[in-house]
Amino acid sequence: MFRLFYTPDWFNGLDLVFDTVSLFIALLIAAYSWRLYRIHQENKYGYFSFAFILIGLAFAAKMVMAGLLYYAPLRNAATAVLIPVVGKAATGINYSQLFFRTGFFVSMVTMLGAWLLLFFVSQKKEGRLKRYYEVSQIALFVYLLLLISIVSNFKYQVFYLTSSVILGMTVLNYYKNFLNTDRNRNAWRVMLAFLLFLFANFAFIFVFIFPGLYVLGEIFMVAGFLVLLKTYAQIQQGKMKLFASQNPKKRDPVRDSVRDRVDSVNRKPVKHKVPFPKPRKMVAN
Amino acid sequence: MSTRRSRLELIFDILLAIQNKGGRIKPTHLMYKSNLSHKLLNAYLEELLERELVRVDEETSKKKLKSTKTVVITEKGLSFLAEFRRMREFTDAFGL
Repeated sequence: MFRLFYTPDWFNGLDLVFDTVSLFIALLIAAYSWRLYRIHQENKYGYFSFAFILIGLAFAAKMVMAGLLYYAPLRNAATAVLIPVVGKAATGINYSQLFFRTGFFVSMVTMLGAWLLLFFVSQKKEGRLKRYYEVSQIALFVYLLLLISIVSNFKYQVFYLTSSVILGMTVLNYYKNFLNTDRNRNAWRVMLAFLLFLFANFAFIFVFIFPGLYVLGEIFMVAGFLVLLKTYAQIQQGKMKLFASQNPKKRDPVRDSVRDRVDSVNRKPVKHKVPFPKPRKMVAN
Repeated sequence: MSTRRSRLELIFDILLAIQNKGGRIKPTHLMYKSNLSHKLLNAYLEELLERELVRVDEETSKKKLKSTKTVVITEKGLSFLAEFRRMREFTDAFGL
């Protein structure tokens, strides 16, 4: 039976519960950002939504594969469905390895695609892909993602290492965003969530040394998604808290442009200490 | 330099200006507070009236013996403001 890596037996099944929670949170955020896309008609919201849909797909593929590996009844049912198509081998069914590898490949390629898309979306406008180079650059990244995902099927560490690098850069982007939004608590939570994803992927790299790290990685992963859920809930409740250490005078001009404009209009006109000089009288010669 | 306001931001500005004035405002004041030209404001007000986000009341002043129009924000308009704030908080949090 094909296995990407060995996980602690007592944890089999629990990771599926964790992944289900993460899947639902990812789809919730995707749905809300899709709504934003429908309202604003801006591509960035569409990409953001698509990234979370990809995360959902990755979890779904992983859950199906892990479920088949963990539970014999599920495996038997899948075998019964597949035998008429692919034929029976001495051990299990023909191409069973190919089936599992395809499943993990789908999981990896969608997850990597999602992380990369989130990285691009989290960048400021100047750093984003420009329209003329967009197609060629996206094609190059798709090629690299496919390559990494194929290699990762034989050396799974490559996948988690690449994910960690992309997530590391995304965390940096979100840290900048946290500073730009004047230390907004929700922006901090988003940064924390991606930091947890980074820790999770980092832990997964070393599962071959100590399988217990898989548990730690899964906990970090679900914790990250729970932090995202908390952020979403806070936003829906309309709570916009700022850190106490924040300087109230220092404000972000872009974020608060509307608020600033309204404030500036509402402000009373400043009275000049020295009145404007009266115009001189014209003296006729 | 601030960026150009989107259509939604302009609508938000108009509704916010009305809300900041206690829910009702005269059209000229609204024009100044939302930083819009007379032509643009009328175009947007028509849209807001169609969508029932605002309504226009006519009041007769006893002193000047003439009727004045005031723009009033509706419940739907207030809920739009709240929803827009939530959307902005979401986009700020995720750096969108």
